[in-house]
Amino acid sequence: MTLTQALNGALHQVMEEDEQVICIGEDIAANGGVFQVTQGLEGQFGAARVIDTPISETAFIGMAVGAAMTGLKPVVELMFCDFAGVCFDQILNQAAKARFLSNGRVKLPLVIRTTMGAGDGSGAMHSQSLHGLFASIPGLTVVCPSTPADAAGLLKAAIQIDDPVIFMENKQLYGVEGLVDEQLPLVPFGTARSARSGSDITIVAVSAMIQTALAAAQALADEGVSAEVIDPRTIKPLDIGTINNSVKKTGRLLVLDEGAAYGGFADAVIAAVSGDMFGRLKAAPRKLTPPDTPVPYAVMAEKFWLPNAQDVIKIVKTMMKGVAQ
Amino acid sequence: MNTVVLEHYQRCWFIRCFERAIAKQASAGNVPGLVHLSTGSEVADVLLGHWVDAERDHVTGSHRSHGLALACGANPIAVAKEILGREGGLSDGLAGTQHLLAPEAGFLTSNGIVGAQVPLAAGAALSAKAAAIDGTGVAVFGDGAANQGAVLETMNLAVALKLPLLFVLYNNGMAQTTAATDATAGNFCDRARSFDLAAWSADSASYDACSNAVQKAVAHTRTEGPAFLEITVTRDHGHYYGEERNGGFEHSQAIDEFGEWLVASGVPEKSLSAARQTAKNDAEAAIAEAASAPLASPEILKPWIQSTGGAGG
Repeated sequence: MTLTQALNGALHQVMEEDEQVICIGEDIAANGGVFQVTQGLEGQFGAARVIDTPISETAFIGMAVGAAMTGLKPVVELMFCDFAGVCFDQILNQAAKARFLSNGRVKLPLVIRTTMGAGDGSGAMHSQSLHGLFASIPGLTVVCPSTPADAAGLLKAAIQIDDPVIFMENKQLYGVEGLVDEQLPLVPFGTARSARSGSDITIVAVSAMIQTALAAAQALADEGVSAEVIDPRTIKPLDIGTINNSVKKTGRLLVLDEGAAYGGFADAVIAAVSGDMFGRLKAAPRKLTPPDTPVPYAVMAEKFWLPNAQDVIKIVKTMMKGVAQ
Repeated sequence: MNTVVLEHYQRCWFIRCFERAIAKQASAGNVPGLVHLSTGSEVADVLLGHWVDAERDHVTGSHRSHGLALACGANPIAVAKEILGREGGLSDGLAGTQHLLAPEAGFLTSNGIVGAQVPLAAGAALSAKAAAIDGTGVAVFGDGAANQGAVLETMNLAVALKLPLLFVLYNNGMAQTTAATDATAGNFCDRARSFDLAAWSADSASYDACSNAVQKAVAHTRTEGPAFLEITVTRDHGHYYGEERNGGFEHSQAIDEFGEWLVASGVPEKSLSAARQTAKNDAEAAIAEAASAPLASPEILKPWIQSTGGAGG
């Protein structure tokens, strides 16, 4: 089952079980979504529950926030996370703060499904990975699945909770195949997944970077370096316990992330681990992110911009020598 | 019939042939991402390019702006190189098909975010007003963008500040893949008038009437203040190339009717076919030159990279 099919299956299942769940977004009903995630939903559940909108992100995200405050459980598709720029007030000030401002009296069971990820030549405004930015806002839960099973299970969890969730689907992962239990079991938030176990270094990676980390880990194994790869799955809440336990074993941490080079997810993980595990570290924790520029368009420039397995291997080897640069 | 009109016919064909050659490059895998072709708006693009003055006006456009940038006078080879991600593109390949910037030609920018180009044109109008050069900002956007908050806010702002800003709405009836009729309340001109904008509509399939409307709207903006012009166009391909297809490259209602009108006005068919041939040759030569240029190197990023400390690599 592909990641797209897993998400689609989860949406069918949840909409079948709970009439309060509705889908809202651009091109999601008749067209089934530009990435086909909402395919077939309108046919099965009708246009009243699967709503095509004008290109008016502020209005439809805001509408979803209000609907979530008053009993519905909207799953909104924001076509690209870059478009959060259009409707950021509704995310930053409205969705993220309503529960706090009501001292918990108001529930906000809202899921904003959106995409992230470079690598397809979409340019600077359709390729960003803003999970770290969202995670820095108190009140938002941020999810980045990397496998079909996690995508379905985390989406179900996202719809179930009463807090606003930013659910980030990597465009490069939609076609990825994986084994998925037919029941699409729920994956609880704040539980990391060990994607590969190892003893020399801990590589924390999310979303599509898991694949880069696994490729690097495989190549490193051939050279006698045993890398553990951890997929936190949820950016916030972050399962720092699992990461710390791994670092306790390996003594080394590399965070591989497609997000911000400055003040992003990688920095947050390094800060936490440095604080918690300082005495156990055998090398300075490192991060590997794209450079601090917008995503370039031209093929080779974009390829250079994205971290790759060779970059990971190079840094890991440096860290294994115990040289802190 | 003056020669300018036949030249306009040739420019329309140049844009159409340019887009056809880009589509071929896309099919051959030579375009980094998806392209949103401007086939169907050629007549509107060329008329705007004609009536706008690159010396003092600034045009901004949507994600679908190859034709508009060309019509404003952006260098076709540099535009093509940018779309193909080649060395020597407008931005050396950093920006790409949705982000064409040719301010030297009066084409300030196109945009990856629906409607985001509209407030930028208000800024160009403000600059022109401050410089007292009788310049204008021209915001070109689609019927989909017309429902964005940024666009509606800019309509109010332009009137409140008496900006020399012309709103040009290309109505092709489709907002990405949603029909405008399913997504839009009321009538666009009425909406504009409710902001006290002078508002007109025109159909790009009637070259002469459309030309008069563009001329009038630009002149009004220059001398009287903000205005709105809705131009009916078609979208001859899908939202992006390869998605769905309407008229395709063979039939573009506006250009076809433009040609018929020229013939009816006494222009010999052989002049039209010569214009089409020249346009085709020029467009294909531009794309061929662009496609033979080297792919943009990762080096283009280097000047933009700031060290943030602690990064790997």
